[in-house]
Amino acid sequence: MNPTIYQLEFKLFFRNKAALSGILILLISGFAGLYFGKKFIRQQDLVIEKASRMQQEQTSTNIKHFGKDPGLLLYHNKFSMVNVPDRWAAFANGQRDINPYLLSVTMLAVEGQIYDTDLSNPSTLLLGNMDLAFVFIFLFPLVIIAFTYSLLSSDQESGVWAVVKSQSGNLLGLIWRKFSIRVISIFAVALVLMISALFYLQLPLDLRFLLVLLLLSLYLLFWFSLSFWVISLGRSSNYNAVLLISFWVVLNIIAPAMLNVWLTQQYPVPEALETLVKQREGYHEKWDIDKSKTMDKFYQHYPQFKQYPFPAALSFSWYWYYAMQQMGDDEALPGARSMSEKLSKRHQFTNLSSIFLPGIQTQLRLNELAGSDLENHLNFQKAVKAYHEKIRLYFYPLIFQNKTIAKVQWNKFKVAPYKGHATGNVWQHLLSVGILALLFTTLAIYNFKKRISLF
Amino acid sequence: MKTIFIIAGRTWKTAFSNTATLALTLILGLALCLATFIGWQNFKTQNAQRLKYKELVREKWLAKPDKHPHRMAHYGYLAFRDKHELSFFDFGIESFAGVSIFLEAHKQNTVNFSEAGFSNGMLRFGEMSVAMVLQLLVPLLIFFLGYSSISAERESGTLKIILCQGVSWRQLLFGKTLGIIILSFSLFIPIILLTVLLWAMLSDWQVSADSSLRLAFLVLSYTIYFIICAGVAVLVSAFHRSSKAALTTLLILWVFFAIVMPRITQALGVILYPAPSKMEFAAAIGSDLHEQGDSHDPDDPHYAQLKAALLKQYKVDDVKKLPFNYGGYVMAEGEKISAGIYNQHQQELNKNFEQQNSFSVAASYLNPFLAIKNLSMALTAADFKTYIDFQAQAEGYRYGLAQRMNKLQIEKISNIAPGEKEKPLSISRSNWAEQPDFQYEFKPVSSVISNHIWSILSLFCWFFAVLIVLGFSSGRLKTLS
Repeated sequence: MNPTIYQLEFKLFFRNKAALSGILILLISGFAGLYFGKKFIRQQDLVIEKASRMQQEQTSTNIKHFGKDPGLLLYHNKFSMVNVPDRWAAFANGQRDINPYLLSVTMLAVEGQIYDTDLSNPSTLLLGNMDLAFVFIFLFPLVIIAFTYSLLSSDQESGVWAVVKSQSGNLLGLIWRKFSIRVISIFAVALVLMISALFYLQLPLDLRFLLVLLLLSLYLLFWFSLSFWVISLGRSSNYNAVLLISFWVVLNIIAPAMLNVWLTQQYPVPEALETLVKQREGYHEKWDIDKSKTMDKFYQHYPQFKQYPFPAALSFSWYWYYAMQQMGDDEALPGARSMSEKLSKRHQFTNLSSIFLPGIQTQLRLNELAGSDLENHLNFQKAVKAYHEKIRLYFYPLIFQNKTIAKVQWNKFKVAPYKGHATGNVWQHLLSVGILALLFTTLAIYNFKKRISLF
Repeated sequence: MKTIFIIAGRTWKTAFSNTATLALTLILGLALCLATFIGWQNFKTQNAQRLKYKELVREKWLAKPDKHPHRMAHYGYLAFRDKHELSFFDFGIESFAGVSIFLEAHKQNTVNFSEAGFSNGMLRFGEMSVAMVLQLLVPLLIFFLGYSSISAERESGTLKIILCQGVSWRQLLFGKTLGIIILSFSLFIPIILLTVLLWAMLSDWQVSADSSLRLAFLVLSYTIYFIICAGVAVLVSAFHRSSKAALTTLLILWVFFAIVMPRITQALGVILYPAPSKMEFAAAIGSDLHEQGDSHDPDDPHYAQLKAALLKQYKVDDVKKLPFNYGGYVMAEGEKISAGIYNQHQQELNKNFEQQNSFSVAASYLNPFLAIKNLSMALTAADFKTYIDFQAQAEGYRYGLAQRMNKLQIEKISNIAPGEKEKPLSISRSNWAEQPDFQYEFKPVSSVISNHIWSILSLFCWFFAVLIVLGFSSGRLKTLS
């Protein structure tokens, strides 16, 4: 290959105002995405920093007010757990605005507490965040389309192609050269943004970074291959533009939107309300039934507590009270289980349908890698439940024996951090985008080989 | 006038002689019908679910045995957010706002279980509703139909022939615009008819005057919106030398206005008016409560004063000798103070959120997409205002329930506490029916209009601006390329 021809092609490409403005748009919106994404996560970090100080303050106030009565103290005292954002969460904010990242629970029934949401503005949730992932998934394809849709047709329309055709033997090579210049330009912009992200978001340079890079590259290649195929049809510029924009609208707006309503309709989650009702009834109805029934069930769950004598003669005891609360959780458990089954069914459906929708595929995998997806939140909820259980097991004996809280090691119950993100089967999903990209490229090359002399 | 209609008719005919346009329109029409139907189905499923649990909650409430009223106050109530029957047309914030709220004594809970909380991220790409198609996709179709309306005539040289025949620029522009409007109406009118039919079925053929008005305003707003879009398409086509350039400009406008700008304006609003986190919000309420009187603090000065005043008034030396239940009295006072403080903070928070949202309202003067989006959500009662109104009504219900139970305790529960081993005090279950069921009342359409006057005004501004430019730009247009 002759490097000077490449240089000339580059010159020609950048003489075009559209080329420069496209690159500028990507850079500006990319940096804006970095800024907004980081700002959003920074806000969560600040709250998490404050959380441990506030919990200490509140615990000491509670001890001052209710210290003499451990049952009452644990009724009021809250223990927090935080879902610490991964550094990548600033890159793909995902569902972190919808799902709470700080859960404060008392020792009462946990099912009544872990579904509490944060205070949020539903209008903001509706419009969504502007992070770098958004720029990659929505805006990059548009600029790719703008760069390539008239690659061949504009030359045909201006008459240049006729001259070129008569002078060059390798027409496919010529198109390929023009095309590769655009690929190189877009990838250069993508790389600049990724390197900026590396420093600005302080991402670790590890396998995950390479994985994200690969994921995004395949996504961009998919759009190039689609565009390449549309060019290979040999139609007019306007036709190409309309067709490519329609593809973008179908793949990134209409299909996901359709799938969403279908999903909500097909897999409704009445289990959520069921769990809520069961938890509330499970606890409250115990006030009106014989204490021994509740206690029998409680000892079935925790045989180890049978050793502590139950004050059956008293009309109220904290022992009984916490056993009733426990029943709220125990009776809500089947509902909670079937809710998580329903959610995993939804998850499977989305994963399956995203095989054909590279935009969703890329977004979901980015969220997964950034620990900002639903799966991460469900794991966080599980961690909160486990922490709550630990608190119960520690304080139950103390309350059941009516001991003082003098010996409680409060530093065991500081604000607990949860960290996590999945790396599971990203590779399989990567393959689907790759195959789609390959498919369109092959189709395009086939078209060109067959018809190029006719153009 | 006649010339305008002739041009409009020609535009309409030529557009549909193009198979690609016809196919696109048909696909969009199918998508619309599907969206309407799925939206309607969805509405029915979700609504039936909420109604089922609403009835269950009421049934369980009434079935509670004789109890101490304070136990009932803690048993509390579950309220479910009602869907307006028009919300199948525009989902608005529906999926991003919680569905159920637990209402109990002393404590204000959040509205939980939003659809978005059950989504693994696909919801962020959008939801297929009639409104989404009308707001986002129909303008795109209008742009596809209109980009070449003038520029193609110029490119082919027919423009100068038309103008030579005595047709004025103004007639040509209005005619072309009208043609494209009629085209978009061939999609819009059937959909509106379908919507009216499904809506009437949802309301069991008993349509309310308020909903009919809401629907009428919706139709009017979308009509204006399509006129704006058609006008913009024709003007962009007229001002560009080539069809290709006009198409590029229109597509850039569409992407920027419909996809990028809404996110940016909201993100700016959030950054400039940061809202407190739940923890900070609760802490602020806690510290206010500490200042005004905390019923949980045994040494609180406010309650010490209250006690002294009561003892003096009834001329007794111990609260146990008061002729009513003292515990209930203290709780009623505590509920009054804490609910007052909470409401004040909640109102501040709502104001904070509205300041965040005000950016997208202001931006609707630059972007008609935002104007129709905000207005459409409001008219189908799936907007932020309706949501906070639900919160306020639920809180009002919660306060009423807690205070009714406190009143029952003050009046019907003995002031002498039973011994540790005696049976706890209770009152008859016949009292429970006195507490009415929670029923959310939608605000009338007049309040929607007064709340969203700026969005309405911005739509009219755009409308008149487009008309004026269409009418008076002939001097700046070129006949030859």
